[in-house]
Amino acid sequence: MANIPELKISGLHAEVAGKEILRGVNVTVRGGEVHAIMGPNGTGKSTLASSLMGHPKYAVTAGGATIDGEDLLAMSVDERARKGLFLAMQYPSEVSGVSNANFMRMAVNARLGAGNEVPVLKFHRELQRQMKTLSIDASFAERYLNEGFSGGEKKRNEILQMAVLRPRIAILDEIDSGLDIDALRIVADGVNSLRGPEFGLLIITHYQRLLQYIVPDRVHVMMQGRIVRSGGRELAMELEARGYDWLKDELGIVDETVSVNA
Amino acid sequence: MNTVKEASVASLDAEPYIAALQEPGFALEFRRRALALYAQLPLARFEKSDLSRRNVRAFKAAPAAIEDPSAWFRVAESHLNPQDEHPLIVIADGSVVHVRGVEQLALQGVVFCSLREAVNKYPDLVQKHLGTVVSSDENNLIALQSALWRDGVFLYAPKNVELAQPVQLLAVTTKGGYGTFVRNLIVADSGSQASFLDSYVAAATLEDELQVGVTEVVVGDGARVKIGTVQDFPRKATNVLVRRARVLRSGQMNWVVGEVGDGYTVAEFGSLLEGEGSVSTSHAIALGAGRAHMDLTSRMVHIGRFSESDTTARGVMQGKANAVYRGLTHIRKGAGGANGQQSEKLLMLSPGSRADAIPMLLIDENDVKCGHAASVGQINEDQLFYLMSRGISEAAAKRMIVWGFVDPVLAELPIDIVRKAVENVLERKMA
Ligand SMILES: Nc1ncnc2c1ncn2[C@@H]1O[C@H](COP(=O)(O)OP(=O)(O)OP(=O)(O)O)[C@@H](O)[C@H]1O
Ligand SMILES: [Mg+2]
Repeated sequence: MANIPELKISGLHAEVAGKEILRGVNVTVRGGEVHAIMGPNGTGKSTLASSLMGHPKYAVTAGGATIDGEDLLAMSVDERARKGLFLAMQYPSEVSGVSNANFMRMAVNARLGAGNEVPVLKFHRELQRQMKTLSIDASFAERYLNEGFSGGEKKRNEILQMAVLRPRIAILDEIDSGLDIDALRIVADGVNSLRGPEFGLLIITHYQRLLQYIVPDRVHVMMQGRIVRSGGRELAMELEARGYDWLKDELGIVDETVSVNA
Repeated sequence: MNTVKEASVASLDAEPYIAALQEPGFALEFRRRALALYAQLPLARFEKSDLSRRNVRAFKAAPAAIEDPSAWFRVAESHLNPQDEHPLIVIADGSVVHVRGVEQLALQGVVFCSLREAVNKYPDLVQKHLGTVVSSDENNLIALQSALWRDGVFLYAPKNVELAQPVQLLAVTTKGGYGTFVRNLIVADSGSQASFLDSYVAAATLEDELQVGVTEVVVGDGARVKIGTVQDFPRKATNVLVRRARVLRSGQMNWVVGEVGDGYTVAEFGSLLEGEGSVSTSHAIALGAGRAHMDLTSRMVHIGRFSESDTTARGVMQGKANAVYRGLTHIRKGAGGANGQQSEKLLMLSPGSRADAIPMLLIDENDVKCGHAASVGQINEDQLFYLMSRGISEAAAKRMIVWGFVDPVLAELPIDIVRKAVENVLERKMA
C-alpha cells in the first residue's frame, strides 16, 4: 500500500500584526488529490499558506493542522518542510550570494538527513534534467537565488525546487501569475508529472486557466478568512464566467475581504 | 588623557634603539624627526574611538627578543599553505623569520624585500617615497610608528613590468607589550602591475599590545596595484592602521580589506586619486565578535579630473561587537568629471551587537557624480523563512545568508589561503 500523505486543516484561526485574518478554515488534502482555493484579493489565501508553512509573522490563535496525523503547528519551519510540506510562494525572496544550485542541494540534503546526502554529480545531473523539463536555462543553476529573476522566472524556479525536493503535500500560491501562456503550460506539465498517490496539491489561483491544465478534484472559495463554498471543478468555471457577486449575494456578504470590523 | 601621554613619553627612551639600527642618514633622520613629533603631539583623537581608555603604552622602544624560534609558526600555520610558491616574507615580532621565492622576481627587476633591507640597498627609492603618502605628523601614533617601525616590506615594480604572481607579507606577533609597528612601502612604476597581500595575525593569548601599521603605496601612471590586507589581532590589542595610496595619471588601485580581529581597531584605507583618470576600488569586510570595536573609514579623495572610485563594504557583527563604518568620498575642487560611488551594508547577528554606517560625501566641484547606499540591519526574516521552508535548519540558513552577504567581498581576495583564513574566521565567529 502506498504511503498516502494527508494535510488536515481544522478550524484554523490566524492573525498577523494583531489582526485576525483566518477565521476557521477547514480543508483536508490527501495524496492523489488536487484542491484549488480561489477567492477575491485580500481574503486570506496567502495567509493560510504562510500560516501552514510557519512564517513567524503569522500567529495561529485557534484550531490546528496536522500532516500525516502529526501536529504541524508544533514543528519549526524546516521540520515542516522535512515532513514533506512545500510552499511555492506568491513572492519568493531573493538571496544574494547564494547560488541556486547550492541552495537546492542543501535543501535536498537536509531532507535526506546527515549521512544520506546525494552525491554532488548525481544531484547536478538530476537538477539539469529537471531544468530542461521546465525549460529553464542551464545558467540559472549558478545564478544567485532568485536575484534579478523576472516574475515568471521566479515562479518557474519555485516549481523547479518542488520537482527536485519531491514533497508529499505542496501548496502553490498563485504559481500562474506572471507566467506567459507557454510557460503556464510547461509549469502545469511539470506539476502534473509529480502527481500520484503520494502527492497532494493545494493550488491557490485566481484563474480558471491553470485549472484547465491541472484539473482539481475540489474547488474552495475563500472570503473573510474562511472557506465559504466548496464544489467540484465546475465551481471554478462558474466563478470565471460570473465573478464573485452572485456568491456574495447568496451568502449575504457585503465586504468579502478581511476587514477589521467584520 | 594627558597623564597617559606624559607617561608614554617619559618611559620612552628610543634613541639607543634608533642609533643601533645602522641605517643610512636619511632613514635615521626620518625616525628622529618623527620621535620629536611624538613627544609634541597629543594623543590621537578619533570621533568614534576613545584611545584614552585603551592601553596605548603597550609597547617598548625595542622589539621583543625572540626566545622560541618556532613560536611564530604555531600562530601562523593556518595562514600558510606549503604548496604555495608565490613570494612570501614572514616577519615575526619585528624581524624577518622566513623568506620564500623572491629570487625569481629579481630576474624581472622587481624588488621584494624587507623595508629595513631596502633602506640600505635601495636608499634612493626609499628616500624618495617614504613618508610621502602618510605623513608622520598625522597623529602621535603615526609619529610613534614612523620613529620605531620595526620592519615591513618594500615592493618595487619597474616600468611596464607585470608581476606574474602576487607577493605576500605575513606579520606575526607572538608576544604582547612590545608594539607591532609594521611599515610597508609599495612603489609601482608607470605601466607596471602588481598584487600584494598582507596579513597580520597574533597569538590568541596576546596580552595588551599596541599595533600601529602603515602601508604607503605609490601607483605610477597607468600602473595597476591590488592589495589584499587582513588584520586578525585578538581582544587585548589596540590597532591603529593606515593604508593609503597615491594614484597617478590613469593608475588603478584596488583595495581588499578584511578586518576580522576581536581587538580595538581604528583603521583607514583608501586612495588619493591625484592623477587624471585615476581609479580606485575598495572591497572591505568586517567581522566582529566578542567585544570587538571597529572604527573603519574608507577614504577616497578625488583630486584629478575624471578620477573614479567605487567602495563596497560588508560587515557582520556578533556578540557585543560594535562597528562604525565611514565611507568618505571627497571630491576636491578641480576634480571635474569625477565619479565616486559607495555602498556599505552591515548585518547585526546578535541583540548585543551594534553597527553604524556613515556615508560622507564632501563635494567641492560641480560637474561630478557621486552616489551611496548604506544599510544596517538584521537577517531578513523573509529570506530566513524562505530558506527554512525548503528544509534547511535555522542555523544553516543563517550561515547561508551571511556567506552570501559577504561573498562579493570575499571573492576579491586574491590568494586562496588568505581567503580560506578569512572564511575560517567567519566560521569560528558564527559558531
Ligand atoms: N504581514 C502582514 N502585515 C499586515 N497585514 C497583512 C500581512 N499579511 C497579510 N496581511 C493582510 O491580511 C489580509 C489577507 O491577505 P492575504 O495575503 O492572505 O490575501 P490573499 O487572499 O492572498 O490576497 P491576494 O489574492 O491579493 O494574494 C490582507 O488584508 C492583508 O493586507
Ligand atoms: Mg495572496
